[in-house]
Amino acid sequence: MQAEKSTRPRQVWQWADVRRRKLGMWAYTLNRVSGLGLVLYLFIHLAVLRLLAGGPAAWDNFLALVRSPLFLVLDVVLLAGLLIHGLNGIRLTITGLGIGVPAHKTWFLALMAAALILSAAGAIAIFTM
Amino acid sequence: MAIQVPIKVFRYRPGTAPHFERYQVTVPDDATVIDVIEGVWAEHDRNFMFRHACHHASCGTCAVRLNGYERLPCIVPVTEALAGRQELVVEPLRNFPLVGDLVVDVAGFFQKQAASGLVITRAAEATLSGQPFAHSELFSQAGALEERAYNRFENCIECGICISACPTMAATDKFWGPAALAGIRRATLTTGDCQEKAALLALADSEQGVWRCHSAFECTESCPQDVDPGGAIMSLRREIVGRKVKHLFGAG
Repeated sequence: MQAEKSTRPRQVWQWADVRRRKLGMWAYTLNRVSGLGLVLYLFIHLAVLRLLAGGPAAWDNFLALVRSPLFLVLDVVLLAGLLIHGLNGIRLTITGLGIGVPAHKTWFLALMAAALILSAAGAIAIFTM
Repeated sequence: MAIQVPIKVFRYRPGTAPHFERYQVTVPDDATVIDVIEGVWAEHDRNFMFRHACHHASCGTCAVRLNGYERLPCIVPVTEALAGRQELVVEPLRNFPLVGDLVVDVAGFFQKQAASGLVITRAAEATLSGQPFAHSELFSQAGALEERAYNRFENCIECGICISACPTMAATDKFWGPAALAGIRRATLTTGDCQEKAALLALADSEQGVWRCHSAFECTESCPQDVDPGGAIMSLRREIVGRKVKHLFGAG
């Protein structure tokens, strides 16, 4: 069967529209937002690595910058993004194989609680080490 | 007792800009939202387009977005819909081509529904062969509906609410969608023909099948008949993956 042809623009913005939606939709949107953030970070990271071509002086100047409190906060945000996306991905893999589907909300809440705790622990480590 | 209900409805005609219009409709205080929608037509504008039929959640025809969420207005009391609100807000379902006002084009949706080869029947209706279910097939000795894996889908009224709620459908209407995939799941459970089952699973495993679902479970949450299309999609995935793993090790 041929699926019908769209007769109007798709409203992709609905992907991020969580108004009045349930927890599964929040999990869906959170995974997209964290995923996009991590992709953005990857490109920034690759761009920053180009500084190595500028020799030790350029790199040392950059290291001094990233040890500032603002960049340490960004490190915590990155860690939280990795944990949220990774742990949510584990939930999606498990439920996507038909395992524990009725408990998908419990999976989400438990894993996000783990992400929160591990992010807090990571923040302490980042600011004290 | 009669009450005045403020309602803001979506208005649209091809070639014109979509917009909202506000009305006041008088209905009994035990009325449902479909009564208010009918009131817009009866009291204000005979050109107002909306769909309705059974008025008791059996046909799925009247599905709309009520106050931003997919509902069957025929079973939502006005008092419940107005609780904590100044007015009702009624819009057409999302992810369907618009026809006019609250009416959307459901032709493509029904084509997909037919893909499973199923005539959709509900628990109280008939079998696929057209023969009525025996009482013992439907009910336990205690009179409760027998739990069969496909009972839940038999309650699908093809209202399209799951399509409107699905974020993947917002990106592409080529996706089979929750209702059709739940139908395919049910067909795999009811068929005794191995080849037919393999064909159904291949359909579910296709590019626009179960792997396009991104597990928001909004279909299951919004379904007015507790069909659980999201669960059906995940069950299909498990079966497809299980078969592939068996095949990989030479057992399939």
